[in-house]
Amino acid sequence: MKEPINFVDVDATLQTSTPQDILRYAIEQHDNLVLSFSGAEDVVLIDMATKIKPDVQVFCLDTGRLHAQTYAFIEQVRKHYGISIDVLFPDADAVQKLTAEKGLFSFYEDNHQECCGIRKVGPLRKKLLTVDAWVTGQRKDQSPGTRAAIPVIQNDKVFARPNDSLTKYNPLVNWTSEQVWGYIRANDVPYNTLHDQGFVSIGCEPCTRPVGPSQHEREGRWWWEESTKKECGLHSTNTKK
Amino acid sequence: MTITLVKKILKDGSPCKKCGDVLNKLEQNNQMQFIDSVVIADERDDQSAGMQLAKQYDVDRAPFFIVENEGEAAVIYTIYMKFAKEVLNQKTQEADELKEIMDNNQDLDFL
Repeated sequence: MKEPINFVDVDATLQTSTPQDILRYAIEQHDNLVLSFSGAEDVVLIDMATKIKPDVQVFCLDTGRLHAQTYAFIEQVRKHYGISIDVLFPDADAVQKLTAEKGLFSFYEDNHQECCGIRKVGPLRKKLLTVDAWVTGQRKDQSPGTRAAIPVIQNDKVFARPNDSLTKYNPLVNWTSEQVWGYIRANDVPYNTLHDQGFVSIGCEPCTRPVGPSQHEREGRWWWEESTKKECGLHSTNTKK
Repeated sequence: MTITLVKKILKDGSPCKKCGDVLNKLEQNNQMQFIDSVVIADERDDQSAGMQLAKQYDVDRAPFFIVENEGEAAVIYTIYMKFAKEVLNQKTQEADELKEIMDNNQDLDFL
């Protein structure tokens, strides 16, 4: 059994590491680690990880509402890297209950949290109960409001099994969109064709739209909602150890 | 078992709405009896007891629960539904749990 990770110290070290070095560290630390793939530019993580561990575990969340191009891309990635991608589906009863009560576009009338909870978080939670660590493509520049403070490595208290720990890695956290796309071009990494149509952030079809040159990618998602306050965070510069 | 609830006061001195919601749920479900102490994390004062606990346990949000059992490491809960289910054995609806996770973890938006 490995020693418990000191998240604060390791994060401080990994903050200056490359995404590849962070992935290598994560893969060496955990045999039971899984990569989260959204069907967008986080494909770079698959490209990097398969060079370290060719049979790395990958999953993606099929909400049932993705673009046809995203489904085609997931399949392209599966074949290109010769990997198995665990495609996770939402609980059918929960989706049926939601749509029976509120219709197919409830998120336009209240907000997206309930639908995302059922279609994404439910299957995500179920999957994460089976692993010791997971890797996401989150970056600080994706949303200055909600992602400005995310670390490279964190103790995931939300999805951990009871009385157990779950480690979450965000290797791209300090990369910009430009760096990600530079990597994609330099390494001939396949990408979702929706990006050629002006989509920057890609999610479910009804909740995603292309953005203009001067718009932030956040404006391409849930644009009908007011930007929410970061109500739950503890806003102090000194809360870190 | 000792349970501590840490709730927040915002930088402008107003109470945190989410903390109020959680306190209401605890009252409605007659669960305040299980909470041994309520500690304030005052964003205007980094030395306040709650801010110090947040620092000690590396927690970046509020409210949160600290569950301590003798001889074991403290367990932190940042999701009320998870705490209620795992610690207080309350029967919860999965849809409510998932919605709370989404509401409290906006960084999950882009998954």
